[in-house]
Amino acid sequence: MSLKKYITRLSFIALFLVGILSLSNTTAAFAQDAEIPTDEAVIANGKTLFNNNCTVCHAVHEKVVGPALINVHQRRELPWLINFISNSQKVIQSGDEYAVNLYNEYSKTVMPSFDYFSEDEIVSILAYVKQESANPPSSEPAATAADGTQSAAGAAGGIGIPSEYLTLIIVGFVIVLVLILVVLILIITVLKKFINQKEGIEAEDKEYVNQKLDVGKLVKSNGFLFFVITIFTIVVVKTVIDGLYTVGVQQGYQPTQPIAFSHELHAGQYEIECQYCHTGVMISKSANIPSANICMNCHTAIKTESKEIAKIYKAIDYNPETAEYGDNVQPIEWVRIHNLPDLAYFNHSQHVNVGGIECQTCHGPIEEMAVVKQWSTLTMGWCINCHRETNVNSKGNDYYNDLVKAHDGGELKVVDIGGLECAKCHY
Amino acid sequence: MLKFNNYKIFSIPVLAIMLVSCDAGKDDTGTEYAPNMYHAVSYEPLIQITNKDAGEWVSSDDDIYGEYYSSNPNNPFEMNMREPAANTVPRSGSGMLPYRLPKDSLDLASRILENPFPASDEVIAEGKVLYSKYCQHCHGANGGGSADETAKVGVVFKGVPSYSAGRVSQVSGGHIFHVITHGKGRMGAHGSQVQPEDRWKIVRFVQTLQKQ
Repeated sequence: MSLKKYITRLSFIALFLVGILSLSNTTAAFAQDAEIPTDEAVIANGKTLFNNNCTVCHAVHEKVVGPALINVHQRRELPWLINFISNSQKVIQSGDEYAVNLYNEYSKTVMPSFDYFSEDEIVSILAYVKQESANPPSSEPAATAADGTQSAAGAAGGIGIPSEYLTLIIVGFVIVLVLILVVLILIITVLKKFINQKEGIEAEDKEYVNQKLDVGKLVKSNGFLFFVITIFTIVVVKTVIDGLYTVGVQQGYQPTQPIAFSHELHAGQYEIECQYCHTGVMISKSANIPSANICMNCHTAIKTESKEIAKIYKAIDYNPETAEYGDNVQPIEWVRIHNLPDLAYFNHSQHVNVGGIECQTCHGPIEEMAVVKQWSTLTMGWCINCHRETNVNSKGNDYYNDLVKAHDGGELKVVDIGGLECAKCHY
Repeated sequence: MLKFNNYKIFSIPVLAIMLVSCDAGKDDTGTEYAPNMYHAVSYEPLIQITNKDAGEWVSSDDDIYGEYYSSNPNNPFEMNMREPAANTVPRSGSGMLPYRLPKDSLDLASRILENPFPASDEVIAEGKVLYSKYCQHCHGANGGGSADETAKVGVVFKGVPSYSAGRVSQVSGGHIFHVITHGKGRMGAHGSQVQPEDRWKIVRFVQTLQKQ
């Protein structure tokens, strides 16, 4: 082998080695995250920025609205991360495959642009995320969840136990009463025997002691017959009158709705105000049945797997996977519960907006009803009673100032301003 | 004579049982008194009875339909209500015209819109009441978003930002008005629920939350 060839080969090997070394160097640099600082001050700054701007959609260890950020610095390179955080839509529109896939996977939820962050600020956030990635996920959510189930079980038990106790108490009473009865019967038998054995007692007294109850004679007696007929008549008359009062009154009507919407859940547990959905209540005659777009303010994200929610999606032809609406819309056929007769006029805004009446005054504890039923009778007497008893809401209305003073004790009832006039409601 | 009286007595409980069945129940509206005074002759909103023969037995007018039939065959799905004609302008007591900027004009809205209501105590107090009805369950009583415990829905919905942190604390009144009207990101459009005047009052209250 000539020296020249030898040197060429050596240089090739050297080059190859250098190449390998440099390659391993770059990978090493990426693995070590030379560009993400580990300085504590930077991480603290990152933590503040993260909590103020990111936590609504992101957590380190769990998927919230966006993906879990654990070890995000290993998934993507730093420049890509900076570009995406500062303006995600730009990266997606540039056709970046990873970004487009991510966007589609999270049903095209737009991450707002954070172009007002400097590069250093984004890096400090990533430094905080990197540090948190190394920490194990806090067990807090699991603990609270466990507490939640426990307290729920406790509440259920709290309702269940008293009724069980009640039955036990009643059974106990019955047993005690039966025992007392047995003891009394025993005492009577013993006493009877004692008197019969005793001598020197008058025959009349003995007969009295030994007399037997003649049931047949008692039933045929006039007094008993009168008693039974009276009770019978009272019961029948009461039933007839009560029955007549239910004609035309739909109190207690509780129809099955096409979608099992629970007011107990929405108005009770989640404390959504009535007016959020029943938008007409302050401005029109009807409180209105909410249209499906109001449902969709929340149900684009909440309970999207539910069978009942699927009925809404079907009605408005919405595809929860692609988040797109179609044209094949169908009305939801809710069953109307409160049917005021056509001969009477009622206006919600007059009562709720002007009069300041709470919804529950007429509709009952709606926030506790899983299935809504008609709470009040909605009879004319019921209306009139309220008009007699309720004060006019004169707050903030100067027109009423002197009028209120002119009435006894400063109390101006609805009846005083014509609340019982026929033509107020019937025309 | 006695026997006859006995039969008479038995007719009373039969009548009573018939009357008891007049009561409204779970899926039953019960018996109506004078039903042809109860059902509207005109097109009644929020009611639809498509059966043409419904209530024929009490029908007193000359038309071919039953007394209870209430449905408009000229409307989609024969509903009694229909959407107003396109570009209808609703009358409003405040004289405020409908908001016409489309959803994608957020930047323009942020720059040019001005609140017709002053930042007075009354307006903010009214805004607070409206906020508690339309916004609070997602944004929280103090505007903390998903992190606010009073935001019962916001906690479950997730991703509701705080008004007082980050860029949300800097946005203009016009921006807030536009977002209430058309929605933004995961927030749905609330223009159909909240009147324009009420939206501007809510804006005034939200601005106090931004400054916290």
